[in-house]
Amino acid sequence: MRRTAALLSTHGGRSIPRALADVLVCPLSKQPLRYCEATGSLVSDAAGVSFPVLDGIPSLVPKDGKLLDDQEVKSEQESSTTDSSG
Amino acid sequence: MASSAAAARRLLLLRHRHGHLLPKRHFSSSSAADGLDDGGGGGRVKIFDRDLKRRHRDRAAWAMRETDGLVDAVAENLLDRLEDCRKAFPSALCLGGSAGAVRRLLRGRGGIERLIMMDMSADMVKKWRESENSSGDEPETHFVVGDEEFLPIKESSQDLIISCLGLHWTNDLPGAMIQCRLALQPDGLFLAAILGGETLKSVAGNLLTRAGFTLPGVDVDQYTVKYNNAFELVEHLRAMGETNALFQRNPVLKRDTALATAAIYQSMFGLEDGSIPATFQVIYMTGWREHPSQQKAKRRGSAAISFSDIQKQFGPSEN
Repeated sequence: MRRTAALLSTHGGRSIPRALADVLVCPLSKQPLRYCEATGSLVSDAAGVSFPVLDGIPSLVPKDGKLLDDQEVKSEQESSTTDSSG
Repeated sequence: MASSAAAARRLLLLRHRHGHLLPKRHFSSSSAADGLDDGGGGGRVKIFDRDLKRRHRDRAAWAMRETDGLVDAVAENLLDRLEDCRKAFPSALCLGGSAGAVRRLLRGRGGIERLIMMDMSADMVKKWRESENSSGDEPETHFVVGDEEFLPIKESSQDLIISCLGLHWTNDLPGAMIQCRLALQPDGLFLAAILGGETLKSVAGNLLTRAGFTLPGVDVDQYTVKYNNAFELVEHLRAMGETNALFQRNPVLKRDTALATAAIYQSMFGLEDGSIPATFQVIYMTGWREHPSQQKAKRRGSAAISFSDIQKQFGPSEN
């Protein structure tokens, strides 16, 4: 089940529309992004970076990217069912 | 399987800490270390201070006028070209600069159904989102904060990319143009207007070709705007987010300097009534993503007929 777009963010911010999520990629690796419900951010597994979604607007400038620490990524992986990105 | 994925992640994180963001095989048109690591630069020259330009854009977001003669004229010119194409562009990306004017003046041209508006300033993007569009035939519009030099758009996903007065502040214009081309569908269109003089015009054609665009087109238009005085000129530049963003020791224009500059400019260029005409040269660039249907020269060495054959057939009789 796609986790992007259709579901509302638990942070109370707006979810990212599907049409937008489908064309966005990581600005650094050009690989697909994965929406992380817990943090309300877009995660690039390829680059190990997460990008914030502020007021419903994805902020994909490299400077706004935050390096993921192992723990964060590990718990994400364990709780996920299937990777819906791509 | 999980452990090798975790190992790969750790390797990437280690690379981050050593200032190299990506393994070399990943695509990036410029050193990606610029993004998260300010100290680096990977040997690429940084002429423009992109952080400063972002702050200019933030300021322009509240300073900009509802309509702007120069900006609107340029946007109209771009949109006219769209209409001339007589082709529909269902999916379009509008990059930075005067994207707001492009969207406002669109009026259904180009058959755009889905529009993404992108700028590196969050304030500017929010301002666009707040703007109401009077015409009823607005495309489905989305908003992203992003950098042209690190384009976060999927390959072959757009039919059209427009940049109206946005690309001239990029440090890596060829890189930005290559990324634009890749984001386009085959037979997709790249349409850009940049501020620049004659020097840049001669380079523009090369830029398009080197970025891999086919059927490149370049032309220049000149616009003269009359200001009541030099202060108004500076204010207009600020409202457009077009003030100097060269890397320099002091990024702040001191009041004394501003006054002195204005006075000198006034005395040099002011007309008798005190007004100042300022000339803006705009370079229009068009290019397409390659597609089999496009006309192109045959591969060298693939000729089936030789010149001597042609001469025998059509040349003067040897009798």
